[in-house]
Amino acid sequence: MSASSREAILNRVRAALTPLPRRAAYPEFGDNVATMPAFDREADRWTAFSERQKLVNGMPMVGATALATWLRENGHLRGYCDPTLWAELAPAFGPEFSVSTDYDRAQVDEYAFGITRAAGAIAETGSIILNDSTTSRRLGALTPWVHAAVLRRENIYSDVAAAIAALGKDTNIIFCTGPSKTADVEGILIEGVHGPGVQIALLID
Amino acid sequence: MSPHERHRPNGKRVQLMATCLCDAFFDDAAAATVEVLEYLGCEIAFPEAQTCCGQPAFNGGDWKASRKVVRHTVKTFAGEEPVVVPSGSCAAMMFHGALLEFEKEPDLPQVAQLASRTWELADFIVNGLGVTKWPGRYEATVAFHRSCHSRGTASGPAALTLLGSIEGLKVAPFGEGEQCCGFGGTFSVAFPTISQAMGNLKLDHVLATQPDEIVSADMSCLMHMGGLAAKGGRPVKTRHIAQILRDSLKNASATAR
Amino acid sequence: MKYQQIDQFAAGLAREKRAAVYDGSKAGYDSRYKALFTHYTAPDELRHLAGEIKQHAIENLDTYLPQVEAKLQENGAKVHWAADAREACEAVLKIMRDRGATKMVKAKTMVSEEIELAHFLEKEGVECLETDLGEFIVQIDHDHPSHIVKPIIHKNRREIATSFEKNGLGEYNDDPGTITRRARQYLRHKYLAADVALTGANFLSAESGRMVLVTNEGNSRFCLAATKVHIALIGIEKIVARDRDLAVLLNLLGRSGTGQQLTSYTEFITGPKSAAQPDGPEEMHVIFVDNGRTDVLESDCREILRCIRCGACLNVCPVYRQASGHAYRAVYPGPVGAVLSPLLAGKKFPEMADLPKASTLCGACNEVCPVNIPIPDLLLRLRDKGKQAGSAAASAATPPMGGYAILATQPAAWKAALSMGGIINAVPTPLLPQAAKTWVETRGLPPWRGGQFRKWMKQRKKS
Repeated sequence: MSASSREAILNRVRAALTPLPRRAAYPEFGDNVATMPAFDREADRWTAFSERQKLVNGMPMVGATALATWLRENGHLRGYCDPTLWAELAPAFGPEFSVSTDYDRAQVDEYAFGITRAAGAIAETGSIILNDSTTSRRLGALTPWVHAAVLRRENIYSDVAAAIAALGKDTNIIFCTGPSKTADVEGILIEGVHGPGVQIALLID
Repeated sequence: MSPHERHRPNGKRVQLMATCLCDAFFDDAAAATVEVLEYLGCEIAFPEAQTCCGQPAFNGGDWKASRKVVRHTVKTFAGEEPVVVPSGSCAAMMFHGALLEFEKEPDLPQVAQLASRTWELADFIVNGLGVTKWPGRYEATVAFHRSCHSRGTASGPAALTLLGSIEGLKVAPFGEGEQCCGFGGTFSVAFPTISQAMGNLKLDHVLATQPDEIVSADMSCLMHMGGLAAKGGRPVKTRHIAQILRDSLKNASATAR
Repeated sequence: MKYQQIDQFAAGLAREKRAAVYDGSKAGYDSRYKALFTHYTAPDELRHLAGEIKQHAIENLDTYLPQVEAKLQENGAKVHWAADAREACEAVLKIMRDRGATKMVKAKTMVSEEIELAHFLEKEGVECLETDLGEFIVQIDHDHPSHIVKPIIHKNRREIATSFEKNGLGEYNDDPGTITRRARQYLRHKYLAADVALTGANFLSAESGRMVLVTNEGNSRFCLAATKVHIALIGIEKIVARDRDLAVLLNLLGRSGTGQQLTSYTEFITGPKSAAQPDGPEEMHVIFVDNGRTDVLESDCREILRCIRCGACLNVCPVYRQASGHAYRAVYPGPVGAVLSPLLAGKKFPEMADLPKASTLCGACNEVCPVNIPIPDLLLRLRDKGKQAGSAAASAATPPMGGYAILATQPAAWKAALSMGGIINAVPTPLLPQAAKTWVETRGLPPWRGGQFRKWMKQRKKS
């Protein structure tokens, strides 16, 4: 099926395009043509990112203590953490927390939070960037109600175009812009559909 | 629709295309167009053989029939002078629709030649003749319906420039101004339920601002809205922009006297 | 038929449904406008550019398709080709059967709707679960989506609560938050138990073989985190030339569809998961689907292949707002559907040729289109095509134009008709009695004044 269908489709494509007197040229455009003109690309990246992330109902945060405090206050005591991060974060978390560094699919309903590394962030849109090489577990960053992505200041891109230009070789990269959401029921915004209801960007210097 | 390339008028000789609707129903709108153009110093030729722009068949899907009518129109409006049309819809048919249905026809150049000198009235006054301030006086609050065939063209802004410059006249903005009135030519009779619903919605928005009259550059929209309003027991005065411009001039001369 | 089918559907639409569709689409239009016009000084220039980017890709598919195929293979994906719906469905089934897979979770893809994949797989004994909340609700209701990005725009919360109750998803509760929470809880275990994930693709870069998937709910991400096999059904028109094109298109897609700067999850996938990553597909299959697209490419309506499925043309369309998506009898409703559905219908074109008639040609769809598709022009071309195909559906309630053309090309006859009109005093010039009847039933008719202007003009010339 496939081999002959391939040829059939490509032949049809050629037959459709060959009679065109000329083909539409690739347009010329600058890399930042779709960057918002009012967005200051020279501004401090973390400050700009924080502002924009709040606009999409994300939560920028600085330091492990702030995260632990917020989780405690909101009753999120059980979670998953990237094993390579836990040593650095653990001192901020008290004994009331139960944190696993080995994600278990059977425990999907038990994890209230997940802490993983972000590969970067985008200031213009308030997005955090995850990829396969820096995210310890795709599920750990997705299934808990709260996801905290640990971010380094130097990994914040100014805008979408810059982040796309830097996509690189990683096989899977995802821009997460605020929490998971839907407006399917009567257009009413509900957060936390399949992914996190709370998306935190945790800056650690 | 994108603004078309129009050749600037040289001199003040123009040909008038009255449109079939004015020919059949709205003679005063056509007469007002003549008076307005004459006031502006235009010398107007009215080719007697004119009929229709071909749009009913074009929109109806019968391009073969429509092309016959367009060819007649091209022949009727031969020459170099601008052709002024008191309708955004008929003008768009001539400078856009006709080109589309003649894409593969040998006489496309002739059709394109007519397209390049076809102007909707307000567009012609503002962008052809460079008039941006309209004299006289017209005491009314009007709702201006920017007919859809002028979407993206210079006609809508031109009409608002003229109306906005008339002393005593207030243009009242209304909700969902960009939405269509629901006329759509044969659409109005092939889709009567939707056409009426759209029209009534438009009237709801327009009448909420309590205008003295609805003004447009297209009698077709006005015929639909006016007819619907009358049938719905909420009659509203509808007027072509040419009638406003003409009456504004009359009021000026009355004051001067 | 007295009136056109879409009008008859609209006439029979419950008031409540019409209100839901109207309010939902208007809200979509408003948020789009706000996002584009507060974020950009010249959004129209961006739309035009995006249109050129897509048009270039479409007109060079003969180069880009083999190029992207090679890239995908280089990245470790397997590439399949499906000429029609049947081949696409069978390709999916074969991948599943070869692996003994019986459970599929799928993210929203319009192509899968087009080929009726879920229906096909269920008959073959494969569980095929929709994971997008709206699509999930449509599935348990045995309904059809009625909007490209808001599949259940036609439903209210009470209907949804009732079907949740009927399907064992808790007691009746019509709070949208509760409905969402219950779906979350139910579906996450389904993802984790599934063998195969099926997605579409919003874009595919020929330069890198990178496919882009966008969702707001995160369901496609869950599909690609939980399962071991990823199948992507991709229409051949989804290709763009270069990665940099994506920045333009993604910025427009989110804003045009839902008024968002970016959709919540924008995923870039070049192949199976990396070795170090515990979660995600070990195999990736891309199925390129033609299913009528090469016919569209050959036609003079090929600009419609630029479409990025944002739904903005539905939201703004006054006809869609009154008629709802189901009126269009096809997977793609609204203005884009009125162009695409008849073109994709193949031999059944005449049956669908009434769709292009369902427009006043107001042009609002073109004005909002992020890739600047000249939809009204395409609708007009298809009207001509429908007439030439002798489509009865298209000609329903449309006055024939032969007589009009004779009158309008013979000035003497035209003038005679103008004066005769005065006697009949009810027949608008170009329209025939049935049409005139419809008009006067619903709208007042101004008095006939045929030829009056010409008389006035003559008098004036004399004086």
